[in-house]
Amino acid sequence: MTDFRHEHRDPSSFRDPSGFLFYRNGAIYRSVNHIYKENYDHLMHSGLYKTLIDAELLIPHKEMNTEDSLSGEAYKIIKPEQLPFISYPYEWCFSQLKNAALTTLSIQKQSLEFGMALKDCSAYNIQFSKGKPVLIDTLSFEKYREGRPWVAYRQFCQHFLAPLALMNYTDIRLNQLLRIHLDGIPLDMVSKLLPFRSRFHFGLFSHIHLHAKSQKHFADKSAQTIGGKMSHRSMLGLIASLETTVRRMKWQPKRTEWNEYYDNITYSTEAFDEKKQLVSEFLDSIHPAALWDLGSNTGVFSRIASKKGIQTISFDIDPACVERNYLEVVSNKETNILPLFLDLTNPSPAIGWEHLERKSILERGPVDTVLALALVHHLAISNNLPLQKLAVFFDKICHSLIIEFVPKNDPQVQILLSSREDIFPEYTQNTFEESFKKYYAIQKATKIRDTKRTLYLMVKDTSWS
Amino acid sequence: MNKSILLRSLFVSLFLSVLVFQQNAFAYLDPGTGSYILQLALAFLFGALFTIKVFWNKIKTFFTQLFSKK
Repeated sequence: MTDFRHEHRDPSSFRDPSGFLFYRNGAIYRSVNHIYKENYDHLMHSGLYKTLIDAELLIPHKEMNTEDSLSGEAYKIIKPEQLPFISYPYEWCFSQLKNAALTTLSIQKQSLEFGMALKDCSAYNIQFSKGKPVLIDTLSFEKYREGRPWVAYRQFCQHFLAPLALMNYTDIRLNQLLRIHLDGIPLDMVSKLLPFRSRFHFGLFSHIHLHAKSQKHFADKSAQTIGGKMSHRSMLGLIASLETTVRRMKWQPKRTEWNEYYDNITYSTEAFDEKKQLVSEFLDSIHPAALWDLGSNTGVFSRIASKKGIQTISFDIDPACVERNYLEVVSNKETNILPLFLDLTNPSPAIGWEHLERKSILERGPVDTVLALALVHHLAISNNLPLQKLAVFFDKICHSLIIEFVPKNDPQVQILLSSREDIFPEYTQNTFEESFKKYYAIQKATKIRDTKRTLYLMVKDTSWS
Repeated sequence: MNKSILLRSLFVSLFLSVLVFQQNAFAYLDPGTGSYILQLALAFLFGALFTIKVFWNKIKTFFTQLFSKK
């Protein structure tokens, strides 16, 4: 008999009547409802599932005993391969979103070959697993009926094409509109924000500008009276057109303050190498399974962790750094590092219905270890954060911490203070240590040679809690 | 002003080609009437472009193979 006490339904899983997600003892399961039986069986027995798994486009799953159903109404209970971290499209860089879009289109093409089609195209259904984008919603398929247009076309354009076009043509930061618009960016807004020259691009003209006009024109008309047929060839043509449009979009990061940071560092190569060595030694002494590198830049230090087999999330505020980091993941086929965009001073919030559909960064933690190198002075001085508040934050997100303290007389801090009044009498090494000692035991504190900086290893004393 | 007139006339002429019959959408997500109709209006064009693309790829493959044999 299954113990249901440690079970609850995922609050974001309510739109699709085909099934729902639920948690049991910390693992995630998917209930497949009877209404979806025909489609599920077709997916599994037509060869489509195997093809998609072999191509690493869909998350693999195991079928479980249906008596273990939460509602008792399940046709099947499946346990998908568990993902260590769920990320959202507004945390992805340009190439991550582009590859997620191409993965979606590739799945749609494969599905059509097996007589199925995607019935939704939410960017949230794509996750990065072992460095690659995969579809995580096994219930996104339905039997293809020739003649019928693609029901997920609107969603594909709003979730993928719209942010990519805005990032490519207008401003890389406009992917943040996804944080406000849960079902993708409204196309009329995208059409207004894109430059006039985008109308000369056939794909953008039809899938964005004309699409927006069409949506506006037919906004008050019912889909029940739509006529006409869309042949299989036209459907393939539509997918090919979307694919060409996505492939043509390219973003070349320009020089930014951060993405050439390591070319301009104020300390010596020896000091830099020593810092890497220290991080490596500290990691070896605590053996974390998972790590978040906050302010990772292009991921130089994240890779010290990921190469030790630690599941590493490499966060940075600069889209150009995240892009470079991700392109390195792709070219080196790295499997346990995920670069993501994050503004720590205003991190990803909980959004959607009842704030329960997409989780905040804090809700996706805590993590075993946080790496915070050359970060504290930016938060404390550029963002006026008292050191005590910083310690409170780290206490919430990690059990152990490798953190660098950069004192006021460091050249980098002097640059930050050069254009403003020094209102930070509390910004001292002593206050830093005292603030963090409330939550962590300082296990190691090592001065980095040729610098005034100190690298700390702090671990929570579990006997306190 | 001119560009909006041009866009509007192109838009109207495209959608005049869509006939009106009874057909249900059967989707748990609203596919959006405008999104649905746009696909139908451009269906012929997408189909034609796809045919040309396939044909062009065949020609390219033919010449690539011919060239590589020599």
